[in-house]
Amino acid sequence: MDRRLLDILVCPITKGKLIYDKKNQELISKGARLAYPIRDDIPVMLPDDARHLSLEDLEKFK
Amino acid sequence: MNPLSHPHPPDYLDKRKVSQSFDRAAPVYEEWASLQKMVGDELVERLEWVKMKPRQIVDVGAGTGNLSRALSHNYKSADIYIVDISEKMIIEARKKASKWFSKQHFVCADAAQLPFIDDSVDLLISNLMLQWCNDIAAVFAEFARVLKPDGALFFSTLGPDTLKELRQSWASVDNGNHVNKFIDMHDYGDALLRAGLINPVMDVDRLEFTYPDVKQLMKTLKQIGAHNITAGRSRSLTGKGKFQAMLAAYEKYRSAEGLLPATYEVVYGHALGKRKIEPVSEAASVAVPVKWEK
Repeated sequence: MDRRLLDILVCPITKGKLIYDKKNQELISKGARLAYPIRDDIPVMLPDDARHLSLEDLEKFK
Repeated sequence: MNPLSHPHPPDYLDKRKVSQSFDRAAPVYEEWASLQKMVGDELVERLEWVKMKPRQIVDVGAGTGNLSRALSHNYKSADIYIVDISEKMIIEARKKASKWFSKQHFVCADAAQLPFIDDSVDLLISNLMLQWCNDIAAVFAEFARVLKPDGALFFSTLGPDTLKELRQSWASVDNGNHVNKFIDMHDYGDALLRAGLINPVMDVDRLEFTYPDVKQLMKTLKQIGAHNITAGRSRSLTGKGKFQAMLAAYEKYRSAEGLLPATYEVVYGHALGKRKIEPVSEAASVAVPVKWEK
């Protein structure tokens, strides 16, 4: 994943920091409780395409 | 139809449709996108007048990345973030990217919800994208947020005279909503100021393209993913009779050379990053300088 890009990206809803989940290729916004997919190295920062995070999911990113 | 029975105003553009429409068009887009190319070249030329050394450039609505590639060439030390709402467009843009310019970064995002940190962008550029946005205020607010205070915005969009021949031909047939509506240059200028962007300057240029027939024009629009995506348009197929009547009405524009014209009103604008301190007064009306070009 493009480091330079990661440095500038925030959650499009909360404008808060993202956590890079390398294993699942997702960018996690705890504030919006969304996981934005990175498909083929391209972050897809569309809330409609993001996965909703359950409370258990959120625990993992404490 | 009672307009109140409709869930959206008739000129509401369905965002998902915009994205899908461009997704379908991605592989053939560039071949048909001569207008985008011409206008993009003009934007690049305008940037050359401005002495700036942007380090962080964002191209919003980059399509398959034509403009981004020109910018990569002109600003070799800059990082360029290539943004489009259509994932397929971004994939196409990446395929076309020269591997020599490693400072290109590809992101799929919506202009009204940009995923970038505040005050991070030196140059924000947008070529023929704003005409697909429902909520210009939201988009400009995002531009103002991500631009550095001394950053600059350069954009092009389409004005209300765009496809006027097609719109008038349909208007002689029925009251349906067959052609996308485009907002006026002055409304863009006002929206820039309301977003807190400063020193907006707007101007307009009219381009005429000619086609052997209307079907060719509509095919072009379809292939660039820019055919009518207004949510209020008729869901059923337009009757063949009505379509024939529209074609007949369009004939009155046919030139001596035997070609049919289609006008594109191209609106160019630029503005500077937001003021840092005071909020913009609602009451203040500020004249936007307007330069008319042929």
